Amino acid sequence: MESFETLLEGSAKAHGHLCAGQVIGVRMAMRGCELIGLDNPSDISQIKKLIVYVEIDRCATDAIGYVTGAKLGRRSLKFVDNGIMAATFVNLETGTAWRLVSTESSRDKAAEFAPGITDVSEQQLVGYKIMPDDLLFDIMPVRVDVPIHDMPGPSRFKAQCDSCGIIVRDKREVLVGSRILCRACACGAYYRPLDSGSGCRHTP
Amino acid sequence: MCETPKDAPSNPSMTRIRVEDAIGTRLAHDITEIRPGEFKGPAFTRGHKVEEADVCHLMRLGKRHLYVLNLGPDQVHEDDAVVELAAALAGPGITFEASPKEGKLQLLAAYTGLLKVNGEALYAFNRIPDVMCASIHNNFPVVKGQNIAGTRAIPLVIERQVLDQAVSLARAKAPVFSVKAYYRKKIRLLITGSEVYDGLIEDRFEAIVREKLAAFGANLEETRILPDDVDRIADTIRYFADKDTDMIITTGGMSVDPDDVTRHGIRKAGADALYYGAAVLPGAMFQIAYKGELPIVGIPACGLHHRITVFDLVLPRLLAGERLDDADLARFAVGGMCLSCPTCRYPACSMGKTG
Repeated sequence: MESFETLLEGSAKAHGHLCAGQVIGVRMAMRGCELIGLDNPSDISQIKKLIVYVEIDRCATDAIGYVTGAKLGRRSLKFVDNGIMAATFVNLETGTAWRLVSTESSRDKAAEFAPGITDVSEQQLVGYKIMPDDLLFDIMPVRVDVPIHDMPGPSRFKAQCDSCGIIVRDKREVLVGSRILCRACACGAYYRPLDSGSGCRHTP
Repeated sequence: MCETPKDAPSNPSMTRIRVEDAIGTRLAHDITEIRPGEFKGPAFTRGHKVEEADVCHLMRLGKRHLYVLNLGPDQVHEDDAVVELAAALAGPGITFEASPKEGKLQLLAAYTGLLKVNGEALYAFNRIPDVMCASIHNNFPVVKGQNIAGTRAIPLVIERQVLDQAVSLARAKAPVFSVKAYYRKKIRLLITGSEVYDGLIEDRFEAIVREKLAAFGANLEETRILPDDVDRIADTIRYFADKDTDMIITTGGMSVDPDDVTRHGIRKAGADALYYGAAVLPGAMFQIAYKGELPIVGIPACGLHHRITVFDLVLPRLLAGERLDDADLARFAVGGMCLSCPTCRYPACSMGKTG
């Protein structure tokens, strides 16, 4: 794995700006990979061994993706919408998994590690670079049972929605009464079709 | 499963070698270690390259010989076979672990809901030689990720023809396992009883019903308290039915006294079908009626005194959209009697499991 500074520079470039979230994400990813025994997760020899669960869609998530090479489209990056600055790193080969949570207390402690800096964002950017792991993160070993339908690789499962006819992959269908439905038809969609004559009815 | 013929040949695809001679070979299957009260799991996994340091460990596990596999074209290793079995058994709402452990795969609920098991199909599946699958009970409320069954090929190597037979059967009878989502969410409650209506005693049903509904993600939208008056009960049932209601629950007035008129009010409101009486204790005087597709459930007074009653058996099924009738209420009979254990473990007990 490349050095912290190199990874941070690349991550900031890929993300669009350098920020405290980039620092947290890069450090979280480096520590997480170290804990599960992967020293170069983007390398072809290790890329299929890793799954990362991220729990927030903010700056740090992009940094984690950059450092680990985990990608949503490759199914190695999983987004669990918990609103928590945390990530879990899973070595599929060994089953080892570690969850790292960014501590709230680190926000207050940042100033101690950035003497002479008054701007809070700058304090965090500088302070997080050198703050010890045990202050920056809560780190815990965990077990993650990755079910078959969440694994990388070709799609194994397909079902057709009895309401709108769309094909649903990877076990995301829902059985409502005796009907197999897509999630939009079963639970409602995040969008409303403007053309009411087509698309999902979004009612079971 | 099924009886093994006495003259069944040992598998020619497996060569036996002494553990001491196995250094450098790769294991053909997971090797289980059991340390009572401490650990049960694979000490070595399939494909592990045996090293000198492993020999003592293997001997401690009782291994004097290991198999070297030479699979024929019509033979399938247990770890590969079980993935095919699990995929065929797992219907909507069921998934399974990514990797077999000790040749076995656990089937898991993909989301929270009501487990449905096709018992006849599962029986037929288990009558096929060399495969097995065991599950928890039908109609069990399950949560996302919960283990609901385990399956495996029984021998280390299974014949392709036998495996195909099992897979074909599971697909033909699909779904063998599925989970129905709870979709009846909007519930209205009618509490009857002049003594409650007049304020002589305080209602305790609403809190109980609200808590039981919340456990399945359903919501109590509205509660009304009425005296034992047939017409007013009927009017309120009609009023509830005309609103956006997925299910009506009534409490009280289900017994045999002249003042117990709730079910008469439900009939008068235009119920198409009404079933009174269930083979469950507590809960014999339970009632379920329908006005169109709208269920109207009547909880007898026992619901105040017993933690688990017939209501707990039918509630998840109704919320999952099932239409229950008198046959369903009779089917609860075997296992329909609560043992009133000092520490209640329901649903992890025999109560209601044959329904």
